[in-house]
Amino acid sequence: MKIVVTLKVVPDPNSSKRIDPNTKRLVRAGVDLVINPYDEYALEAALQLKEKLGGDTTVTVVSMVPEQNKEVVRKALAMGADDAVMLSDPALEASDVWETASILAEAIKKNGFDLVICGGLSDDGSTGAVPGALAEHLGVPGLTNARHVDVAHGKLKIKRETDSGYQVISGPLPAMVSVTMGVGEPRYPSLKGIMGAKKKTITMTSHAELGLNGALGADGAKTELVELGAPPARAKGQVVTPADGAEGAKIIFDFLRQKKLI
Amino acid sequence: MQHVIVFVEHQAGHTRKVTFELATEARRLADALGGKAHAVVLGNGAAALAETLRQYPLDVIHTSDDPDVDKFLLDPAVDYLEALAQDLGPSIVLLPNTMYGRDIAGRLAGRLAAGLTSDVTDITVDGGKIGCVSPKLGGAAITTCTFKNTDYGIITVRPNAFALQPGALRQAQGDTAQVQPLEKPGGKTYQMVIEEDVEEGSGELGLEEAPAVVAGGRGLGGPEPFETLLKPLADALGGAVGASRAAADAGWVPYSLQIGQTGKTVSPPLYIAVGISGAIQHKVGMRTAGTIVAINKDGGVPIGEFADLLVVGDLFAIVPELTKLVQEAKAAHA
Repeated sequence: MKIVVTLKVVPDPNSSKRIDPNTKRLVRAGVDLVINPYDEYALEAALQLKEKLGGDTTVTVVSMVPEQNKEVVRKALAMGADDAVMLSDPALEASDVWETASILAEAIKKNGFDLVICGGLSDDGSTGAVPGALAEHLGVPGLTNARHVDVAHGKLKIKRETDSGYQVISGPLPAMVSVTMGVGEPRYPSLKGIMGAKKKTITMTSHAELGLNGALGADGAKTELVELGAPPARAKGQVVTPADGAEGAKIIFDFLRQKKLI
Repeated sequence: MQHVIVFVEHQAGHTRKVTFELATEARRLADALGGKAHAVVLGNGAAALAETLRQYPLDVIHTSDDPDVDKFLLDPAVDYLEALAQDLGPSIVLLPNTMYGRDIAGRLAGRLAAGLTSDVTDITVDGGKIGCVSPKLGGAAITTCTFKNTDYGIITVRPNAFALQPGALRQAQGDTAQVQPLEKPGGKTYQMVIEEDVEEGSGELGLEEAPAVVAGGRGLGGPEPFETLLKPLADALGGAVGASRAAADAGWVPYSLQIGQTGKTVSPPLYIAVGISGAIQHKVGMRTAGTIVAINKDGGVPIGEFADLLVVGDLFAIVPELTKLVQEAKAAHA
């Protein structure tokens, strides 16, 4: 079975980020680039399936990122993916949801797939809409927010997270599944994995090779970013140390009263 | 001219406040764009909910009680919405920024070749051009996006971001919304079968929509205090219980309650963080809350840097007393 995992590279979510008020861009200094944390869960789910199914099951990572992010993508290979396809093409920069999904779909179709696994969200853009749009462009069922993914007898079965619990959903293959962190903590690359990743293949491709014509990137996007600013700063508030629980409760209660929240 | 279509998320006819926030905003947008305000209610309970929605300033409420909507995942709802949008022509679709809302939004964007902006907290209209304001990069940036190259715009709206004004606008409009049955889109077969729906925990109120969130972290020490300590306070405040990643990772609560990076983003009017240090990965999920109150035994925790009030003390002593005060105030008011 051929499993494809989509992978985005984002500014490290654990670093403090700020917007330069003059350039209106993210201050990149001191901010590392990492695999989108949600996509690490997608990769983890794919690797678990590969271990379970064995045989000729392969996991391919498909990523639309600049060429300089190659070493970040390689971490996915160190975790256990078999190979990677990178769409590193300046013409694709500033793509929106619809374009990103249509471009990824072309790369995935060219690679071939039985199951595409996506993270549920990206940490930077956080639309959470690419997986659904991708299913549409691939023309396959889209099963979303899975906390558990299983394939048996050529059928897909997931546990889908809901607000009040979960649903059991079944569907045919090929398909697209997006996952939540319920699938389990992503594994760390082992030393053997890191060494092995150096020999694994990262195929570079471009929009021309995928036969994509027409307006691309910012020109073809259906949304346009017109403003990027810093949020209003949140000031440090009061810090109080009450004598006991009752006094602490009273302080909070009065504060909420004053703010008309009770 | 563009129409506005509200997708109504509900369970067996029970919906949440965000639906009415969307219905109110749809009127304002439709007027600014010169179109009509539509809503779509599908599946079990649609008819009763449509009646409730008539109190809001909508023009047309489209309904279908097609059982396929509750039997199969996503596809039937996407088909209905796509058919209506095609039928109405250029339009803006509003959905709640919840897991289900985002699921539908992504699919619909693919179908309609539409622009999509998510987690929107404000919408401006200037000369027929829409601007969608939304926090990105975990709230470190505020962006404004417009639509181009398309007749359709899809907007997922953050709950609690828009005002709720039912009756007044309805009366000003004078007439009542029409309820119209939707025709089932033809030639479709569905394959993603919902085999089971399993309830875990209470789940009466969605975390993202709750007007108050009481969240617990490592300081709670185990699963029990979520039930015995936080739940009564959340109930008294009419809110919901959330958790930090540490608490979810420890298995004290399901991941569906986790707030922050890789979990949910909430912006309730009131957020009470109990025994949560407030590391960046938690902060990104709640920094846009209206008022933030923290209770922690350590006065030096990061949350002190951005909470409106940090009370340093024993959460096990403070929370029950606070719950009592809130309950008493409510009883006196009732």
